This record gives sequence, C-alpha cells and structure tokens, in this order.
Amino acid sequence: MENKHIASEIVRVENVRKTYHDNGVPVDALRGINLVVSQKDFSVIAGPSGSGKTTLLNIIGTLDKPTEGKIFLDGEEVASKNRRELADIRLKKIGFVFQAYNLSPVLNALENIEFTMMLRGIPADERKRRGLTLMEQLGIGELADKRPNEMSGGQQQRVAVARAISNDPRLVLADEPTANLDSATAAKLLDLMEQLNHESGITFVFSSHDPQVIERAHRLFILKDGQIISDKKNV
Amino acid sequence: MTSKIAWRNILRNKRRSLILIISIMIGVIAMILTDAFSVGMMQQMLTNQIGADAGYIQIHKSGYQANPSLKNSIADAGLIRAVLAKEQSSCNVSERLRTLGLVSSASNSAGVAIVGIIPGEEKKVTTIHKYIVKGNYLSENTDEILLSTATAEKLRVELGDKVVIMASRLDGSVGSEACRVAGIFETYDSGFDQTHVYIPLRTAQQMLGVPDRISEFVINPYDTKQTDLIALRLASALPHDDEVLTYKHMLPVLVMQIQVYDETIYIFYAIIAFALLFGIINTMLMAVMERTHEFGVDMAIGMSNKRIFTMILTEAIYLGIIGTAVGIAVSCAIFIPLSHSGWNLATFSESLNSLGIGTTIYPILTASSLINTVLIIPISATIGAMYPALRAMKLQPVEAIRTV
Repeated sequence: MENKHIASEIVRVENVRKTYHDNGVPVDALRGINLVVSQKDFSVIAGPSGSGKTTLLNIIGTLDKPTEGKIFLDGEEVASKNRRELADIRLKKIGFVFQAYNLSPVLNALENIEFTMMLRGIPADERKRRGLTLMEQLGIGELADKRPNEMSGGQQQRVAVARAISNDPRLVLADEPTANLDSATAAKLLDLMEQLNHESGITFVFSSHDPQVIERAHRLFILKDGQIISDKKNV
Repeated sequence: MTSKIAWRNILRNKRRSLILIISIMIGVIAMILTDAFSVGMMQQMLTNQIGADAGYIQIHKSGYQANPSLKNSIADAGLIRAVLAKEQSSCNVSERLRTLGLVSSASNSAGVAIVGIIPGEEKKVTTIHKYIVKGNYLSENTDEILLSTATAEKLRVELGDKVVIMASRLDGSVGSEACRVAGIFETYDSGFDQTHVYIPLRTAQQMLGVPDRISEFVINPYDTKQTDLIALRLASALPHDDEVLTYKHMLPVLVMQIQVYDETIYIFYAIIAFALLFGIINTMLMAVMERTHEFGVDMAIGMSNKRIFTMILTEAIYLGIIGTAVGIAVSCAIFIPLSHSGWNLATFSESLNSLGIGTTIYPILTASSLINTVLIIPISATIGAMYPALRAMKLQPVEAIRTV
C-alpha cells in the first residue's frame, strides 16, 4: 500500500471518519475524508466553525486517531502506530503552530525554540546557534531572553513558528494561526510563512477561516459538516 | 534542559513549592531530632547503669550471674588477679564483694544489696563517687557506709548516724556490722538508689566472715570500643569456672531495648514517609492538573511520555532534596547547641529517674539517622510523584491541549 504513494506526497488521507460520543450520542465530526497534500504545498483547510477543520488537522498531526480510515505521512501509515512512535513522528516530521501560541511560560523565546531540538538530542551549542539564526531570520533576534508574557501576540507566534521549523520538519500544521492577531500582524506572519515555504520548501497546512490565510492558499480544501465539498489547486 | 524546566516549574508557584519544602523539612527535623533524642536517652540509660554500678566487664565465678549468692563468690582470686595484671595497660580494675542484706536504724530497716568496694579503685571503674550529694565518699578500711537519699530518708538517718548492716554468712549464721553514715548519694536511677548501699571491701569481708573472697572484678577498658576484645582475651586466659561478662550480658534488658528501638525506629520513619508521600502526591497532582494544557502541547511537539514522567519526577526530587537539605541544616542548628547544653526535662524528673535517665538529655546524632533521612525523604518524594507523573503520561494530547 505504501508503495502506491508517489514521492512528492507528504500527506495522504484515505476515507477518514471520526465519530465522537456526546453523552452517548454519536456525532460524526469527519465523514469520509480523502485528500492529498504534496511537498512544498501551502494548503488551507477552510470551513465554518464546527465543520471539522481542527479535527482533521489533529488527525493529520497524529494528535488524534481516526475512527476509520488511513493516514499516510511521508508514505508511512500512522493511524496504527503506538504513542511512543507517534511522538517520534511528530518530533521528527511535523511542526505545530497553534492559535494560542502555546509557548512554555517558564522558558524564554530562545529556550522555547531550543526545546524541540533538545527533544531530538541536538547538542546545546548547536541548538543555541540554530535557535539564534532562526530568530534573526524571523526578525525576532532581539527577543531571545524574553519570556512569553513579555512578548506581543505577533512576537509569540513568530517564536512559535521558529519552534515549529527548528527541527527541519517535512510538514508544518498551523491551526488558526492568525485568529488572535490583528490583520497587520497576521499579514506579516503569513508573509513569513510564505517565505519559508518558498525558500526552505517546508510544506504548510493551515486550518483557518481567515480570508487573509485563504487568499494565500496554493491549495484550498473547503470542509462542511465533516466532508470536503471543494478541493481547489492554484487558487 | 529537563532539569532547568523542572527547576523553573518549582519557582513558578513559589508558595506551593515553599509549603511542600516546609512540610518535607518538618518531616526531616522530626526524623533527625526524634532519633537523636531517643538515642541520647538510651545511651544515657546505658552509660548511667554502666557508670554507676555494672562497669563494662565483670568477672565472676561461673553461675554467679544466675545465682548471685555468697556461695558463688570467688574463693581464690589469685589467678584472675594475675591475668588482669597483664591487662593493666588497657583497663582499670576493681574488686567487690556483694550480698543481699538488711540495713537498719533505730527507726526503720530496708532490704538492700550491700556492696563492699575498694574506694580508691572503685573510683576508676564506676561513678558512684560523683553522685555524693551530702558528706564524703568512703575511706579505706573504715566502718563507713554510703546510703542513698531515699534509703537515708527511709531509715531517718543523717550524716554521722550509725546504722547496722546484716547479712547471711556462708555457714548460715548472720553477720552484722555497725557503720557510720559517711555520705549520701543520689544517682539518676531511683530504683538503683533504693536498693544499694556501699561499704569498704574489708568491712564486708569481715562481716561475712570471708576475708579472701570477692564476688566480682569490675573492669573498665580505657577504650570502651575494645570491650568485647578484652572480654574475649580474658575469657580465653581464665579457666571455665570463671565467667567473663560484658555489659551486654549484665544489662540484657537495656541492650535489648536499644536493639528493639533500632528496629522500631523504621516504623516511625515509615509513618513520616507515608505522611510526606500523601503531601507530595497532592501537591504534584495539583501541579500536573494545572499544567495539563502544557503537557498536551509538549506531547504535540514530540515530547515522549518518558520525558514527561522524568520531568515531573525531577521536580519532586528537587523539592525532596531541597526540603531534606534545609531540614538537615535546621536540625543541626537545633542539635549542635543542645548536644553541648542538653535539653533540660526537669519537669519529668520523676519518670526519667525511674528509667535511670538524668533530667538533662544530650541528643546523639548518628550517621545511620542522617543516612536514613537522606535516603528515605527524597525517595518518598520520588515515589509520591510517580502517580501524578503516570497520570500526566496517560493524557491524550488532543484532549490535554483543549484543557484550559
């Protein structure tokens, strides 16, 4: 099965269903999703609230398991993996950017970026060097010693992006990354992510209903009631 | 970096960490000081009994320990004296003749152990001379007697008064002597005081009609750690009809009491560790629940369960180590001055004296007490953190991230 995937595919979702139980009542969050994300894509999963965007992103990111169906990341089927294996896949292949930034409040900006590199066992000197380079590249070099509570939302999200790409992931998943930012800051952040996509070839998958995000998508999946109702390329 | 994060998490909620550190510290202080005072108290009981009467080693005729009668006294002490002469460089020796008898005054009489001693030599092996509260210690070859305060009060006699001592002789007749009260003593052991009187050895031998007999040799090594070794040497040099006993044989109840304490202290340690365990579980569980969202994010970015477990345990170990270190420091700050001045428990003098302890307790801090504390408390902290850490490991990343 894995051999079927062509080399340029980074994500393949096959017939994925996700059913939650709300007080014993089954609720179908995803109903037979099929999609493919290719390397270097800048994809957006859009849709109204409750359409299943975040659920789909969580399943692609191995944070959640589908009730049915298969997920392939970089050609590897992941739905059947155990917790330890999934943590390892997330560490090595996926970077996450969250709506609420989710930086560790006890670490400063540089340490937050170094954290994922530390989990991969990269030596301290190398971590620091790479962390500072990334911060300079993302225009937040002067924030190295700042704790999250000393930074603005936009600054925190840039640190979160730096953290997400610090381990050279194959894929960055961003869940509503601009939802807590003003439009000017959101635009700068998206510029940055586009730049990373162009220059470093990092694949981005967003879940968002922010028009600013949607208009930059190279590929747009529109989700409604747990189903993809539209899949547009080169929008 | 894991340890840096653990440390910063400790500092994050200073009040909660401080409360936990203080509770660990109190546990440590309770463990160290309770043990130090208990060991000090028992050591004093032992030292007082050895010092007041028993000595570290005694030599008797075989069977005397089981039946301490005049019949079992040593008739020819020449060989023993010769053997002991070779030990002159390692110990002090004194001879005694001891029998049960009656001491009477015009008003009353009391059943006592009459101990005939060589006053000058006795000073080197026991401390009875230090407990004289009135009058003087015995002189050689006189008709003087030392009574305890309790006995003097019972007989209603004062210094210089005459009392009569009586005891059975070997042939069954009754021997008696009239003695003048030269001194009154008061040890830490009220039971001992009520049952012992001291007279010169010659007076005792004369009263009992046994001019050459003695009941026991009392031997005190200069280095008391050599007690067992010297006892073994003496036993091998003496014939089998002489018994060489150390204080462990002479004071079996007290020695057993100390052994029992050494074992039961672990129950006390377990109670403290158990109480701490729940405190740590509670605190760490709160810390984990408050940080559920963060653990979810950590899991999302690839932190393994093992690392999350290690991070929580590291926090608990740090708290345990800090609490233990502060507890040891405070314990030492309390212990050091008290080990010099002692803890005056005069309020409990009656019960302490009935146990043969002075009213001032000098705590003794043992290496085993410190080692046990250093091991038990941080280990308890680690065990206490395991349940919260296991709970954190079981979190589902997606649910944990949703937790606010």
